[in-house]
Amino acid sequence: MSADNLPYAADAESPLKEAELEVLRRQYEREGQYVSIQTKFNYAWGLIKSDKAAEQRYGVKLLTEIFRDAPERRRECLYYLALGNYKLGNYAEARRYNDLLLEKENQNMQAMSLKGLIEDRVAKEGMLGVAILSGVVIAAGVMGSFLYKGITKRSL
Amino acid sequence: MVTASHVNPLDADASLSALVSLQNTNIGSFSRKVTSTAGSLISPFSDSLAPGSHYHHAMTEVSKDLRRPSIQKRVFTFTKSSPSEIVRSKLSATEISHRALTYLPDELLRDIPDNDATYSLFQGFRASVDTAAAKKHREGKNLLEDGGPNSMSRLTKERDTMNEALDLLGIRKSIASTEIREIDAKISRLTSIRGTVLERLAKLEQEETELEHELLELDNRIEDIQYEMVEENSPIGGDEEGESGGFMSESIYSKLPSPKGRKHRSAHKRKSMPILHEHMPPGSEIKEMQCHADVITALDFDFPFGKLVTAALDDTVRVWDLSSGRGLGLLEGHHASVKCIQVEDIYVATGSTDATIRFWDLSRTDVPSHPGSNSVTHKRGPQSNQEEDFEDDMSAISSPTGPMSSAGTQDCHLLTLDSHIGEVTALYFQHGTLVSGSADKTLRQWDLSTGRCVQTLDILWTASSSASSEDSGWSNITSLGRSSSRTNMTEMKADFVGALQCFDAALACGTADGLVRLWDLRSGQVHRSLVGHTGPVTALQFDDTYLVTGSMDRSIRIWDLRTGSISDAFAYEHPITSMQFDPQRIVSAAGENVAKIYDRVEGRHWSCGAGVEGQKEDRLSTPAIVDRVRCKEGYLVEGRRDGVIGVWTC
Repeated sequence: MSADNLPYAADAESPLKEAELEVLRRQYEREGQYVSIQTKFNYAWGLIKSDKAAEQRYGVKLLTEIFRDAPERRRECLYYLALGNYKLGNYAEARRYNDLLLEKENQNMQAMSLKGLIEDRVAKEGMLGVAILSGVVIAAGVMGSFLYKGITKRSL
Repeated sequence: MVTASHVNPLDADASLSALVSLQNTNIGSFSRKVTSTAGSLISPFSDSLAPGSHYHHAMTEVSKDLRRPSIQKRVFTFTKSSPSEIVRSKLSATEISHRALTYLPDELLRDIPDNDATYSLFQGFRASVDTAAAKKHREGKNLLEDGGPNSMSRLTKERDTMNEALDLLGIRKSIASTEIREIDAKISRLTSIRGTVLERLAKLEQEETELEHELLELDNRIEDIQYEMVEENSPIGGDEEGESGGFMSESIYSKLPSPKGRKHRSAHKRKSMPILHEHMPPGSEIKEMQCHADVITALDFDFPFGKLVTAALDDTVRVWDLSSGRGLGLLEGHHASVKCIQVEDIYVATGSTDATIRFWDLSRTDVPSHPGSNSVTHKRGPQSNQEEDFEDDMSAISSPTGPMSSAGTQDCHLLTLDSHIGEVTALYFQHGTLVSGSADKTLRQWDLSTGRCVQTLDILWTASSSASSEDSGWSNITSLGRSSSRTNMTEMKADFVGALQCFDAALACGTADGLVRLWDLRSGQVHRSLVGHTGPVTALQFDDTYLVTGSMDRSIRIWDLRTGSISDAFAYEHPITSMQFDPQRIVSAAGENVAKIYDRVEGRHWSCGAGVEGQKEDRLSTPAIVDRVRCKEGYLVEGRRDGVIGVWTC
């Protein structure tokens, strides 16, 4: 795949205008049951670019359908699935897809940059989660120790 | 990060807020340190040491690691997901359903073929999004060009955008062709699915027919038992019982006299209607049966996959089951060949060259009657040897071309109408009234409830006494007859009354003089004549708007009954011998080895039958010429000169 065949993750962060997404949606709905893969993808990509979680989720769902229906598009879909899941915060899934893609194309710039992004985000959130947990424990410890002291003092 | 704000108010510890601020400035590999910190924090409880010092010590260690993000990354890569993700995926209902919907199993992920598409989906996306923008851009540029300076840079920029637009066009083109390929694949997939469903439908209909047959046998047995009970109760005689009894159906035909001394079975109506033929492609063969050894002279059937009655020059009339292709029996009684047949529901009318018309009830064919009861007056005994009867019937059925017994059908005869003094060439019945046309140049109207002739219409007398146009028409008769025999008519002579049909008091008949006369049965007068055919009319049918006629002059004419003028007409290569139409199509036999079909909706002519190209190769002999056609609901039955009946969809 050549360089400009896949968008970078930054592209996914810039939502389409309401009207633009509306055009894609109408096209998708007009083709109904026999929707072509390109149309479906256009709508799905538009949804993933959105900043609303519900739309992103629907976009990922459409992409999953494309992945199931069109084996020749699976490799591309991997990237978009990774990207969509990354935006949704499902880093485990995102990593699963992205790593698979990198396995197939180890020179894929977009996938590599996405990998970096995912890892950063996982690390950050992981840190934060642990920090919060430990904060709670610390607070409890401090409180407990004060209480303990108080009790021992009173008993003396 | 949202969770942080939720948890934060719980403890006012300064260290936490410090941590939160730290996360923005790339905190180090934290977990290891934090666990150790936590451990050292918990331990002081028992030691009663100052907790602040431990914590402070731990924090300094952590902050050292904060400057080494690579370690942090290494630590966290083994945890596949962040805590917030875990929390969401376990707690939120929409999230859970979303995951279920979008989960891709590993086998799918393993099966990823190489992509050989000419464009990527993203390129396709850009191409379709840019369509509107590109057009506008080009228009805008044309306006600019008028006054702008032709600087080098501007021109090269323009060239670049043009190249880009060209690339986009190329991508859009390949999108379109990919879509076409996708659709083709879908179509072929759907076609194969359709094939399997069609097979299923065929199987279901087979089962349906078998069940119907069994049901009918049961019905008949029940009636037999009832009949016996009634007979035992009234020792005077069952003859009267048969006429007045409660076995009559409620239809208009219930007035029909029941033959004395015979068992009258109530009309059996099929519960289900076969629809298989509607789903087969037009022109496909359903069945081919060698029904007679001679030219088929007439045929008709009640409904698709129902019962077919055929007559041939071998002077027999046979009844067939169209779903199985088996012969059900003979209709015996005519002394000469039958020229016209009409099947309506369970009733059959046959008009013969012996100048009689016979009326039959087909509902009595299904369960064979007593093989020994050849005498009409003989009262039937109890159905003790039902089994034997059945076997007898089976042996008769097993060889369709062989000798057929009338055992199963001899009870069918209801009436004989014998007032004509010339051969009966056309007939039509409806609602208890039958109208027949004969070579004695009369039309007769019969009351089927009494079997009497109620009116005789003399065509010649009407022709000579009415308008001048008809006089001229009639004077042509003999000459036309000769001219038609000079053309391709070597075997067939035109009948005087070629065809007729009635509806209530309206009667239309086509005669050898090429005229179509519209009669009023109440006055017995011709109220309109349709002039146009230059040869004898051989086929005629009308509905509420149109009257369609076929003639020896090779043409089919469609008349508008409201105006009395021709609305459409077309001709084939040979004289028309038989024709039937419905709103969809006009089916005709035109001296070829195929049935000719005119699609009225599409205005298209096509051929259906054994003589069609492509059907020919796998046949040993060339199929014979089709003489008779009948078509109901796209189910076409054609009879050929070698006695073969072909069934097709159209």
